[in-house]
Amino acid sequence: MDLYAQNILDRYRTPFFKDKKIKADLKRHEANHSCGDAVDISLSTKGGKVIDFSFTGAGCAISMAAADMLGELVTGMMEDEILKLTKDDIYKMLGIEISMRRSKCALLGLITLQNAILAEQKKPLKTWGDY
Amino acid sequence: MNYRQDFPIFKNRPDLIYLDSAATSQKPQAVLDAVYGFYKSMNSNVHRGTYPLSEEATEAYEDARKTVSSFINAAHPHEVIFTRNATESVNLVARAYGDAFLNKGDEVLLTKMEHHSSIVPWLQLKDRKGIVLKYLDVSKEGRLIFDPKLITAKTKFVSVTAMSNVLGTIPDLKPIITAAHAVGAKVLVDACQSAVHIKTDVQALDADFLVFSGHKLYAPTGIGVLYAKTDILNQMPPFLGGGDMIHEVFLDHFTPGELPNKFEAGTPHIAGAIGLKAAIDYVNKIGFPVIQKIENELTEYLLGKFKALPYVRIIGPADMMGRGPVISFVIEGIHAHDMAEGFATKGICIRAGQHCAQPLMDYFEIPATARISLAIYNTKDEIDAAIRTLEEIYKYFNP
Repeated sequence: MDLYAQNILDRYRTPFFKDKKIKADLKRHEANHSCGDAVDISLSTKGGKVIDFSFTGAGCAISMAAADMLGELVTGMMEDEILKLTKDDIYKMLGIEISMRRSKCALLGLITLQNAILAEQKKPLKTWGDY
Repeated sequence: MNYRQDFPIFKNRPDLIYLDSAATSQKPQAVLDAVYGFYKSMNSNVHRGTYPLSEEATEAYEDARKTVSSFINAAHPHEVIFTRNATESVNLVARAYGDAFLNKGDEVLLTKMEHHSSIVPWLQLKDRKGIVLKYLDVSKEGRLIFDPKLITAKTKFVSVTAMSNVLGTIPDLKPIITAAHAVGAKVLVDACQSAVHIKTDVQALDADFLVFSGHKLYAPTGIGVLYAKTDILNQMPPFLGGGDMIHEVFLDHFTPGELPNKFEAGTPHIAGAIGLKAAIDYVNKIGFPVIQKIENELTEYLLGKFKALPYVRIIGPADMMGRGPVISFVIEGIHAHDMAEGFATKGICIRAGQHCAQPLMDYFEIPATARISLAIYNTKDEIDAAIRTLEEIYKYFNP
Protein backbone atom coordinates (compact mmCIF):
# COMPACT_ATOMS: atom_id res chain seq x y z
CA MET A 1 0.00 0.00 0.00
CA ASP A 2 1.24 3.47 -0.88
CA LEU A 3 -1.12 6.06 0.51
CA TYR A 4 0.81 9.25 0.99
CA ALA A 5 4.16 10.67 -0.09
CA GLN A 6 6.99 9.81 2.28
CA ASN A 7 7.36 13.44 3.45
CA ILE A 8 3.72 13.49 4.60
CA LEU A 9 4.00 10.18 6.39
CA ASP A 10 7.28 11.20 8.05
CA ARG A 11 5.87 14.45 9.36
CA TYR A 12 2.73 12.71 10.59
CA ARG A 13 4.77 10.12 12.48
CA THR A 14 7.51 12.45 13.69
CA PRO A 15 6.29 16.01 13.82
CA PHE A 16 8.63 18.91 14.66
CA PHE A 17 6.10 21.36 16.04
CA LYS A 18 3.50 19.15 17.73
CA ASP A 19 3.14 19.75 21.48
CA LYS A 20 6.19 22.05 21.39
CA LYS A 21 6.42 24.17 24.54
CA ILE A 22 6.41 27.84 23.57
CA LYS A 23 5.43 31.10 25.24
CA ALA A 24 2.29 31.71 23.23
CA ASP A 25 0.49 35.02 22.87
CA LEU A 26 -1.95 33.83 20.17
CA LYS A 27 -4.06 30.65 20.35
CA ARG A 28 -6.80 29.28 18.17
CA HIS A 29 -8.86 26.07 17.91
CA GLU A 30 -10.56 24.98 14.70
CA ALA A 31 -12.14 21.67 13.76
CA ASN A 32 -13.49 19.96 10.73
CA HIS A 33 -16.43 18.11 12.23
CA SER A 34 -17.44 16.17 9.16
CA CYS A 35 -14.29 14.09 9.44
CA GLY A 36 -13.34 14.72 13.05
CA ASP A 37 -10.07 16.60 12.60
CA ALA A 38 -9.23 19.22 15.22
CA VAL A 39 -6.22 21.52 15.55
CA ASP A 40 -5.04 24.00 18.19
CA ILE A 41 -2.34 26.37 17.05
CA SER A 42 -0.24 28.53 19.38
CA LEU A 43 1.96 31.37 18.18
CA SER A 44 4.58 33.48 19.79
CA THR A 45 4.86 36.83 18.02
CA LYS A 46 7.06 39.88 18.26
CA GLY A 47 6.28 43.13 16.39
CA GLY A 48 3.87 41.32 14.07
CA LYS A 49 6.37 38.59 13.26
CA VAL A 50 5.88 34.92 14.16
CA ILE A 51 8.88 33.79 16.14
CA ASP A 52 7.58 30.47 17.43
CA PHE A 53 4.89 27.97 16.43
CA SER A 54 3.31 25.01 18.13
CA PHE A 55 0.22 22.87 17.56
CA THR A 56 -1.73 20.09 19.14
CA GLY A 57 -4.49 18.11 17.53
CA ALA A 58 -6.04 14.88 16.46
CA GLY A 59 -6.65 14.14 12.84
CA CYS A 60 -5.67 12.33 9.71
CA ALA A 61 -2.12 12.17 8.36
CA ILE A 62 -2.67 15.01 5.89
CA SER A 63 -4.18 17.41 8.44
CA MET A 64 -1.46 16.73 11.01
CA ALA A 65 1.44 16.81 8.52
CA ALA A 66 0.07 20.03 6.98
CA ALA A 67 -0.17 21.70 10.38
CA ASP A 68 3.38 20.63 11.20
CA MET A 69 4.84 21.79 7.88
CA LEU A 70 3.02 25.08 8.34
CA GLY A 71 5.19 25.70 11.42
CA GLU A 72 8.29 25.69 9.26
CA LEU A 73 6.69 27.83 6.56
CA VAL A 74 5.49 30.63 8.81
CA THR A 75 8.18 30.89 11.46
CA GLY A 76 9.84 34.24 10.75
CA MET A 77 6.94 35.40 8.60
CA MET A 78 5.00 38.63 9.22
CA GLU A 79 1.34 38.24 10.22
CA ASP A 80 0.18 40.15 7.14
CA GLU A 81 2.15 37.79 4.89
CA ILE A 82 0.54 34.81 6.62
CA LEU A 83 -2.92 36.25 5.93
CA LYS A 84 -2.03 36.30 2.23
CA LEU A 85 -1.25 32.56 2.11
CA THR A 86 -3.61 30.67 -0.19
CA LYS A 87 -4.74 27.12 -0.79
CA ASP A 88 -2.14 26.84 -3.57
CA ASP A 89 0.66 27.81 -1.18
CA ILE A 90 -0.37 24.95 1.10
CA TYR A 91 -0.65 22.44 -1.74
CA LYS A 92 2.81 23.53 -2.94
CA MET A 93 4.17 23.13 0.60
CA LEU A 94 2.73 19.61 0.83
CA GLY A 95 4.04 18.73 -2.61
CA ILE A 96 1.32 16.18 -3.33
CA GLU A 97 -1.97 16.02 -5.23
CA ILE A 98 -4.83 16.92 -2.91
CA SER A 99 -8.21 15.54 -3.94
CA MET A 100 -11.38 17.52 -3.34
CA ARG A 101 -12.43 15.22 -0.51
CA ARG A 102 -9.16 15.91 1.34
CA SER A 103 -8.91 19.67 0.77
CA LYS A 104 -10.26 20.52 4.22
CA CYS A 105 -7.70 18.17 5.79
CA ALA A 106 -4.92 20.05 4.00
CA LEU A 107 -6.29 23.48 4.88
CA LEU A 108 -7.32 22.99 8.51
CA GLY A 109 -3.96 24.25 9.78
CA LEU A 110 -4.07 27.33 7.55
CA ILE A 111 -7.58 28.37 8.53
CA THR A 112 -6.69 27.91 12.21
CA LEU A 113 -3.53 29.98 11.82
CA GLN A 114 -5.15 32.77 9.82
CA ASN A 115 -8.13 32.94 12.19
CA ALA A 116 -5.76 33.17 15.16
CA ILE A 117 -4.32 36.31 13.61
CA LEU A 118 -7.66 37.70 12.35
CA ALA A 119 -9.25 37.21 15.78
CA GLU A 120 -6.36 39.10 17.37
CA GLN A 121 -6.75 41.91 14.81
CA LYS A 122 -10.52 41.88 15.48
CA LYS A 123 -11.19 41.29 11.78
CA PRO A 124 -13.83 38.99 10.25
CA LEU A 125 -12.76 35.35 10.43
CA LYS A 126 -12.19 33.12 7.41
CA THR A 127 -14.65 30.38 6.54
CA TRP A 128 -14.08 27.31 4.35
CA GLY A 129 -15.76 29.08 1.44
CA ASP A 130 -12.93 31.66 1.45
CA TYR A 131 -10.52 29.03 0.15
CA MET B 1 -30.24 -16.57 -4.72
CA ASN B 2 -27.84 -13.87 -5.81
CA TYR B 3 -29.45 -10.47 -5.32
CA ARG B 4 -26.32 -8.64 -6.41
CA GLN B 5 -27.29 -9.12 -10.05
CA ASP B 6 -30.46 -7.06 -9.46
CA PHE B 7 -28.28 -3.96 -8.97
CA PRO B 8 -26.96 -2.60 -12.29
CA ILE B 9 -24.19 -0.51 -10.70
CA PHE B 10 -22.23 -3.71 -10.03
CA LYS B 11 -22.34 -4.57 -13.74
CA ASN B 12 -21.33 -1.06 -14.72
CA ARG B 13 -18.51 -0.93 -12.16
CA PRO B 14 -17.36 -4.54 -11.81
CA ASP B 15 -14.58 -3.67 -9.35
CA LEU B 16 -16.81 -1.72 -6.98
CA ILE B 17 -16.85 -2.93 -3.38
CA TYR B 18 -19.61 -0.90 -1.79
CA LEU B 19 -19.64 -1.12 2.01
CA ASP B 20 -21.48 2.14 2.70
CA SER B 21 -25.15 1.23 2.39
CA ALA B 22 -25.98 2.97 5.68
CA ALA B 23 -25.16 6.23 3.88
CA THR B 24 -27.27 5.29 0.90
CA SER B 25 -28.13 1.97 -0.68
CA GLN B 26 -27.60 1.04 -4.30
CA LYS B 27 -30.73 0.82 -6.45
CA PRO B 28 -32.15 -2.33 -8.03
CA GLN B 29 -33.21 -2.42 -11.68
CA ALA B 30 -36.88 -2.58 -10.63
CA VAL B 31 -36.61 0.84 -8.96
CA LEU B 32 -34.78 2.40 -11.91
CA ASP B 33 -37.43 0.99 -14.26
CA ALA B 34 -40.27 2.37 -12.14
CA VAL B 35 -38.81 5.89 -12.06
CA TYR B 36 -37.96 5.85 -15.76
CA GLY B 37 -41.34 4.34 -16.57
CA PHE B 38 -43.16 7.15 -14.82
CA TYR B 39 -41.34 9.89 -16.71
CA LYS B 40 -41.45 7.93 -19.96
CA SER B 41 -45.14 7.20 -20.11
CA MET B 42 -47.10 8.64 -17.21
CA ASN B 43 -45.56 12.05 -16.46
CA SER B 44 -48.10 14.64 -15.34
CA ASN B 45 -48.95 16.37 -12.09
CA VAL B 46 -51.02 14.72 -9.39
CA HIS B 47 -54.26 15.75 -7.67
CA ARG B 48 -55.10 18.42 -10.27
CA GLY B 49 -55.57 16.72 -13.57
CA THR B 50 -58.82 16.95 -15.42
CA TYR B 51 -57.55 14.38 -17.87
CA PRO B 52 -56.81 10.63 -17.72
CA LEU B 53 -53.01 10.98 -17.77
CA SER B 54 -53.04 12.94 -14.52
CA GLU B 55 -55.52 10.51 -13.04
CA GLU B 56 -53.09 7.71 -13.79
CA ALA B 57 -50.21 9.58 -12.14
CA THR B 58 -52.40 10.36 -9.12
CA GLU B 59 -53.39 6.73 -8.85
CA ALA B 60 -49.75 5.58 -9.04
CA TYR B 61 -48.72 8.15 -6.42
CA GLU B 62 -51.53 7.15 -4.05
CA ASP B 63 -50.82 3.51 -4.73
CA ALA B 64 -47.27 4.16 -3.51
CA ARG B 65 -48.75 5.57 -0.33
CA LYS B 66 -50.82 2.41 0.15
CA THR B 67 -47.70 0.28 -0.33
CA VAL B 68 -45.79 2.28 2.30
CA SER B 69 -48.80 2.09 4.60
CA SER B 70 -48.91 -1.74 4.45
CA PHE B 71 -45.11 -1.96 4.66
CA ILE B 72 -45.11 -0.25 8.07
CA ASN B 73 -48.54 -1.63 9.04
CA ALA B 74 -50.19 1.78 9.40
CA ALA B 75 -53.91 1.75 10.19
CA HIS B 76 -54.67 3.98 7.21
CA PRO B 77 -52.77 5.20 4.10
CA HIS B 78 -53.50 8.85 4.97
CA GLU B 79 -51.21 8.38 7.99
CA VAL B 80 -48.31 8.24 5.51
CA ILE B 81 -46.98 11.68 4.56
CA PHE B 82 -44.40 11.90 1.78
CA THR B 83 -41.46 14.19 2.55
CA ARG B 84 -37.98 14.70 1.09
CA ASN B 85 -36.27 12.48 3.65
CA ALA B 86 -36.30 11.48 7.30
CA THR B 87 -34.63 14.77 8.24
CA GLU B 88 -37.51 16.75 6.79
CA SER B 89 -39.96 14.41 8.53
CA VAL B 90 -38.39 15.08 11.96
CA ASN B 91 -38.32 18.81 11.25
CA LEU B 92 -41.98 18.70 10.27
CA VAL B 93 -42.81 17.13 13.65
CA ALA B 94 -40.61 19.51 15.66
CA ARG B 95 -42.10 22.51 13.83
CA ALA B 96 -45.75 21.58 13.44
CA TYR B 97 -46.25 19.43 16.55
CA GLY B 98 -43.52 20.97 18.71
CA ASP B 99 -44.50 24.59 18.12
CA ALA B 100 -48.18 23.86 18.75
CA PHE B 101 -48.04 21.49 21.70
CA LEU B 102 -44.74 21.88 23.56
CA ASN B 103 -44.06 24.71 25.95
CA LYS B 104 -41.33 26.20 28.09
CA GLY B 105 -40.06 23.69 30.62
CA ASP B 106 -41.55 20.65 28.84
CA GLU B 107 -39.04 17.83 28.55
CA VAL B 108 -38.08 16.11 25.33
CA LEU B 109 -36.17 12.85 25.86
CA LEU B 110 -33.65 11.81 23.19
CA THR B 111 -30.77 9.33 23.26
CA LYS B 112 -27.04 9.86 22.91
CA MET B 113 -27.05 7.58 19.88
CA GLU B 114 -29.38 9.77 17.82
CA HIS B 115 -28.35 11.11 14.43
CA HIS B 116 -27.95 14.91 14.27
CA SER B 117 -31.25 15.05 12.37
CA SER B 118 -33.03 13.78 15.49
CA ILE B 119 -31.18 16.20 17.79
CA VAL B 120 -30.88 19.52 15.97
CA PRO B 121 -34.63 20.09 15.24
CA TRP B 122 -35.23 19.73 19.01
CA LEU B 123 -32.32 22.06 19.82
CA GLN B 124 -33.97 24.55 17.46
CA LEU B 125 -37.27 24.06 19.31
CA LYS B 126 -35.39 24.64 22.56
CA ASP B 127 -34.22 27.98 21.14
CA ARG B 128 -37.77 28.88 20.08
CA LYS B 129 -39.77 27.63 23.06
CA GLY B 130 -37.43 26.88 25.95
CA ILE B 131 -38.09 23.14 26.10
CA VAL B 132 -35.64 21.02 28.10
CA LEU B 133 -33.67 18.24 26.38
CA LYS B 134 -32.64 15.07 28.19
CA TYR B 135 -30.73 12.11 26.84
CA LEU B 136 -30.78 8.39 27.50
CA ASP B 137 -27.25 7.08 27.96
CA VAL B 138 -25.28 4.55 25.97
CA SER B 139 -23.13 1.86 27.56
CA LYS B 140 -19.47 1.38 26.63
CA GLU B 141 -20.61 -1.73 24.71
CA GLY B 142 -22.83 0.54 22.62
CA ARG B 143 -26.18 -0.51 24.08
CA LEU B 144 -28.92 1.95 24.91
CA ILE B 145 -29.48 2.24 28.66
CA PHE B 146 -33.15 2.86 29.38
CA ASP B 147 -33.38 4.64 32.70
CA PRO B 148 -37.15 4.97 33.36
CA LYS B 149 -36.42 7.78 35.85
CA LEU B 150 -35.69 10.06 32.88
CA ILE B 151 -39.36 9.84 31.91
CA THR B 152 -41.19 12.18 34.27
CA ALA B 153 -44.47 14.06 34.48
CA LYS B 154 -42.73 16.83 32.54
CA THR B 155 -41.80 14.53 29.64
CA LYS B 156 -43.96 15.46 26.67
CA PHE B 157 -42.03 13.92 23.81
CA VAL B 158 -39.58 11.05 23.28
CA SER B 159 -37.53 10.49 20.11
CA VAL B 160 -35.48 7.34 19.73
CA THR B 161 -33.73 5.53 16.92
CA ALA B 162 -34.72 2.02 15.90
CA MET B 163 -31.10 1.35 14.78
CA SER B 164 -28.02 3.45 15.42
CA ASN B 165 -26.32 4.65 12.23
CA VAL B 166 -22.95 4.45 14.01
CA LEU B 167 -23.15 1.49 16.39
CA GLY B 168 -25.64 -0.70 14.55
CA THR B 169 -27.45 -1.13 17.88
CA ILE B 170 -31.13 -2.06 17.73
CA PRO B 171 -32.61 -0.81 21.04
CA ASP B 172 -35.62 -2.44 22.62
CA LEU B 173 -38.18 0.30 21.96
CA LYS B 174 -41.28 -1.22 23.53
CA PRO B 175 -40.48 -0.45 27.22
CA ILE B 176 -39.53 3.12 26.32
CA ILE B 177 -42.72 3.70 24.34
CA THR B 178 -44.87 2.13 27.06
CA ALA B 179 -43.26 4.29 29.76
CA ALA B 180 -43.62 7.42 27.61
CA HIS B 181 -47.29 6.75 26.96
CA ALA B 182 -47.88 6.17 30.66
CA VAL B 183 -47.08 9.86 31.28
CA GLY B 184 -48.93 11.00 28.16
CA ALA B 185 -45.79 11.72 26.09
CA LYS B 186 -45.70 11.19 22.33
CA VAL B 187 -43.00 9.03 20.77
CA LEU B 188 -41.15 9.40 17.46
CA VAL B 189 -39.21 6.41 16.13
CA ASP B 190 -36.36 7.05 13.70
CA ALA B 191 -36.47 4.03 11.41
CA CYS B 192 -34.02 5.46 8.89
CA GLN B 193 -31.43 2.70 9.35
CA SER B 194 -33.74 -0.09 10.42
CA ALA B 195 -36.42 0.05 7.69
CA VAL B 196 -34.30 -1.84 5.15
CA HIS B 197 -33.12 -4.49 7.60
CA ILE B 198 -35.96 -5.33 9.97
CA LYS B 199 -39.76 -5.33 9.83
CA THR B 200 -41.36 -2.01 10.78
CA ASP B 201 -44.75 -2.26 12.49
CA VAL B 202 -46.05 1.07 13.77
CA GLN B 203 -49.11 -0.52 15.39
CA ALA B 204 -47.16 -3.22 17.21
CA LEU B 205 -44.74 -0.53 18.42
CA ASP B 206 -47.60 1.86 19.14
CA ALA B 207 -45.39 4.63 17.73
CA ASP B 208 -47.02 8.04 17.46
CA PHE B 209 -44.60 9.14 14.76
CA LEU B 210 -42.13 7.18 12.65
CA VAL B 211 -39.75 8.49 10.00
CA PHE B 212 -37.48 7.04 7.34
CA SER B 213 -35.79 7.94 4.06
CA GLY B 214 -36.38 6.08 0.82
CA HIS B 215 -32.79 6.16 -0.36
CA LYS B 216 -31.48 3.84 2.36
CA LEU B 217 -34.23 1.40 1.38
CA TYR B 218 -33.15 0.86 -2.27
CA ALA B 219 -35.37 3.79 -3.40
CA PRO B 220 -34.30 7.09 -5.02
CA THR B 221 -32.98 10.04 -3.03
CA GLY B 222 -35.42 12.88 -2.35
CA ILE B 223 -38.34 10.79 -1.08
CA GLY B 224 -38.96 10.23 2.62
CA VAL B 225 -41.80 9.22 4.89
CA LEU B 226 -43.47 10.58 7.98
CA TYR B 227 -45.95 8.28 9.64
CA ALA B 228 -48.20 9.66 12.38
CA LYS B 229 -51.45 8.53 13.98
CA THR B 230 -54.58 10.03 12.43
CA ASP B 231 -55.77 11.96 15.48
CA ILE B 232 -52.35 13.55 15.97
CA LEU B 233 -52.11 14.60 12.31
CA ASN B 234 -55.59 16.09 12.59
CA GLN B 235 -54.63 18.10 15.68
CA MET B 236 -51.37 19.36 14.19
CA PRO B 237 -51.32 22.63 12.24
CA PRO B 238 -49.93 22.37 8.69
CA PHE B 239 -46.15 22.61 8.15
CA LEU B 240 -45.35 24.22 4.79
CA GLY B 241 -48.03 26.33 3.14
CA GLY B 242 -48.82 26.27 -0.57
CA GLY B 243 -50.69 24.37 -3.22
CA ASP B 244 -52.25 20.98 -2.54
CA MET B 245 -52.26 21.41 1.26
CA ILE B 246 -55.24 23.77 1.35
CA HIS B 247 -58.97 23.44 1.31
CA GLU B 248 -59.89 27.07 0.69
CA VAL B 249 -57.82 30.25 0.36
CA PHE B 250 -59.11 33.79 0.85
CA LEU B 251 -57.28 37.10 0.97
CA ASP B 252 -57.14 37.05 4.75
CA HIS B 253 -57.27 33.40 5.75
CA PHE B 254 -57.13 29.80 4.57
CA THR B 255 -58.41 26.42 5.66
CA PRO B 256 -56.08 23.42 5.43
CA GLY B 257 -56.86 20.40 3.30
CA GLU B 258 -57.57 16.91 4.53
CA LEU B 259 -55.01 14.23 5.31
CA PRO B 260 -52.56 13.46 3.86
CA ASN B 261 -52.53 16.53 1.54
CA LYS B 262 -52.54 18.88 4.54
CA PHE B 263 -48.83 18.10 5.03
CA GLU B 264 -47.78 17.85 1.39
CA ALA B 265 -47.51 21.41 0.08
CA GLY B 266 -46.44 21.83 -3.52
CA THR B 267 -45.85 19.26 -6.22
CA PRO B 268 -44.44 16.18 -4.51
CA HIS B 269 -41.65 13.89 -5.71
CA ILE B 270 -44.06 11.72 -7.68
CA ALA B 271 -41.41 9.63 -9.41
CA GLY B 272 -39.64 9.21 -6.07
CA ALA B 273 -42.79 7.87 -4.41
CA ILE B 274 -43.30 5.46 -7.31
CA GLY B 275 -39.64 4.43 -6.99
CA LEU B 276 -40.15 3.88 -3.25
CA LYS B 277 -43.11 1.62 -3.99
CA ALA B 278 -40.96 -0.41 -6.37
CA ALA B 279 -38.23 -0.64 -3.70
CA ILE B 280 -40.70 -1.87 -1.08
CA ASP B 281 -42.17 -4.38 -3.54
CA TYR B 282 -38.60 -5.58 -4.14
CA VAL B 283 -37.91 -5.94 -0.40
CA ASN B 284 -41.26 -7.67 0.17
CA LYS B 285 -40.57 -10.13 -2.64
CA ILE B 286 -37.34 -11.20 -0.91
CA GLY B 287 -38.85 -10.93 2.57
CA PHE B 288 -37.22 -9.92 5.84
CA PRO B 289 -36.43 -13.47 7.00
CA VAL B 290 -34.21 -13.95 3.92
CA ILE B 291 -32.76 -10.42 4.12
CA GLN B 292 -31.84 -10.95 7.77
CA LYS B 293 -30.34 -14.37 7.11
CA ILE B 294 -28.02 -12.89 4.45
CA GLU B 295 -27.13 -9.76 6.39
CA ASN B 296 -26.65 -11.48 9.75
CA GLU B 297 -24.35 -14.03 8.18
CA LEU B 298 -22.25 -11.26 6.62
CA THR B 299 -22.21 -9.22 9.84
CA GLU B 300 -21.20 -12.21 11.96
CA TYR B 301 -18.48 -13.05 9.44
CA LEU B 302 -17.11 -9.50 9.58
CA LEU B 303 -17.24 -9.34 13.39
CA GLY B 304 -15.35 -12.64 13.52
CA LYS B 305 -12.64 -11.30 11.19
CA PHE B 306 -12.36 -8.13 13.28
CA LYS B 307 -11.93 -10.14 16.47
CA ALA B 308 -8.87 -11.82 14.95
CA LEU B 309 -7.22 -8.39 14.53
CA PRO B 310 -6.18 -7.26 18.03
CA TYR B 311 -5.65 -3.65 16.94
CA VAL B 312 -9.26 -3.19 15.76
CA ARG B 313 -11.61 -1.73 18.36
CA ILE B 314 -15.28 -2.16 17.48
CA ILE B 315 -17.40 0.83 18.53
CA GLY B 316 -20.76 -0.77 19.23
CA PRO B 317 -21.95 -4.27 20.13
CA ALA B 318 -19.21 -6.80 19.37
CA ASP B 319 -21.66 -9.69 19.10
CA MET B 320 -24.82 -10.31 17.10
CA MET B 321 -27.27 -9.63 19.91
CA GLY B 322 -29.51 -6.65 19.14
CA ARG B 323 -27.44 -5.29 16.30
CA GLY B 324 -27.79 -4.70 12.57
CA PRO B 325 -25.24 -4.75 9.72
CA VAL B 326 -23.66 -1.39 10.57
CA ILE B 327 -20.21 -1.78 12.15
CA SER B 328 -18.02 1.10 13.34
CA PHE B 329 -14.41 0.63 14.32
CA VAL B 330 -11.25 2.52 15.19
CA ILE B 331 -7.54 1.71 15.22
CA GLU B 332 -5.32 3.48 17.72
CA GLY B 333 -2.97 5.86 15.90
CA ILE B 334 -4.70 5.68 12.51
CA HIS B 335 -7.34 8.30 11.85
CA ALA B 336 -10.53 7.03 10.23
CA HIS B 337 -9.97 9.27 7.21
CA ASP B 338 -6.59 7.69 6.57
CA MET B 339 -8.24 4.28 6.75
CA ALA B 340 -10.93 5.36 4.28
CA GLU B 341 -8.21 6.66 1.95
CA GLY B 342 -6.50 3.26 2.14
CA PHE B 343 -9.76 1.48 1.35
CA ALA B 344 -10.41 3.92 -1.52
CA THR B 345 -7.11 2.95 -3.20
CA LYS B 346 -8.54 -0.57 -3.51
CA GLY B 347 -11.93 0.60 -4.79
CA ILE B 348 -13.59 -0.12 -1.45
CA CYS B 349 -16.18 2.44 -0.30
CA ILE B 350 -16.47 2.80 3.46
CA ARG B 351 -17.55 5.80 5.53
CA ALA B 352 -15.20 7.66 7.86
CA GLY B 353 -16.01 10.56 10.13
CA GLN B 354 -18.45 11.47 12.84
CA HIS B 355 -21.50 10.11 10.97
CA CYS B 356 -23.66 13.07 12.02
CA ALA B 357 -23.37 11.84 15.61
CA GLN B 358 -20.96 14.22 17.33
CA PRO B 359 -22.44 13.69 20.84
CA LEU B 360 -21.82 9.95 20.46
CA MET B 361 -18.20 10.52 19.34
CA ASP B 362 -17.70 12.78 22.36
CA TYR B 363 -19.17 10.09 24.61
CA PHE B 364 -16.73 7.46 23.30
CA GLU B 365 -13.92 10.08 23.35
CA ILE B 366 -12.93 9.38 19.76
CA PRO B 367 -12.52 11.91 16.96
CA ALA B 368 -14.19 9.73 14.35
CA THR B 369 -14.83 6.13 13.34
CA ALA B 370 -14.52 4.11 10.18
CA ARG B 371 -17.77 2.35 9.33
CA ILE B 372 -18.63 -0.66 7.22
CA SER B 373 -22.32 -1.14 6.50
CA LEU B 374 -23.73 -4.11 4.63
CA ALA B 375 -26.73 -4.90 2.47
CA ILE B 376 -28.17 -7.89 0.63
CA TYR B 377 -25.84 -7.39 -2.37
CA ASN B 378 -22.62 -7.73 -0.36
CA THR B 379 -20.52 -10.89 -0.26
CA LYS B 380 -17.99 -12.60 2.00
CA ASP B 381 -15.40 -12.06 -0.75
CA GLU B 382 -15.90 -8.33 -0.37
CA ILE B 383 -15.42 -8.60 3.39
CA ASP B 384 -12.25 -10.63 2.83
CA ALA B 385 -10.97 -7.89 0.50
CA ALA B 386 -11.79 -5.26 3.13
CA ILE B 387 -9.96 -7.19 5.85
CA ARG B 388 -6.88 -7.72 3.63
CA THR B 389 -6.89 -3.97 2.95
CA LEU B 390 -7.25 -3.16 6.63
CA GLU B 391 -4.21 -5.32 7.41
CA GLU B 392 -2.25 -3.48 4.72
CA ILE B 393 -3.32 -0.11 6.11
CA TYR B 394 -2.21 -1.17 9.59
CA LYS B 395 1.19 -2.30 8.27
CA TYR B 396 1.58 0.91 6.31
CA PHE B 397 1.19 3.04 9.44
CA ASN B 398 3.02 0.58 11.72
CA PRO B 399 5.93 -0.69 9.60
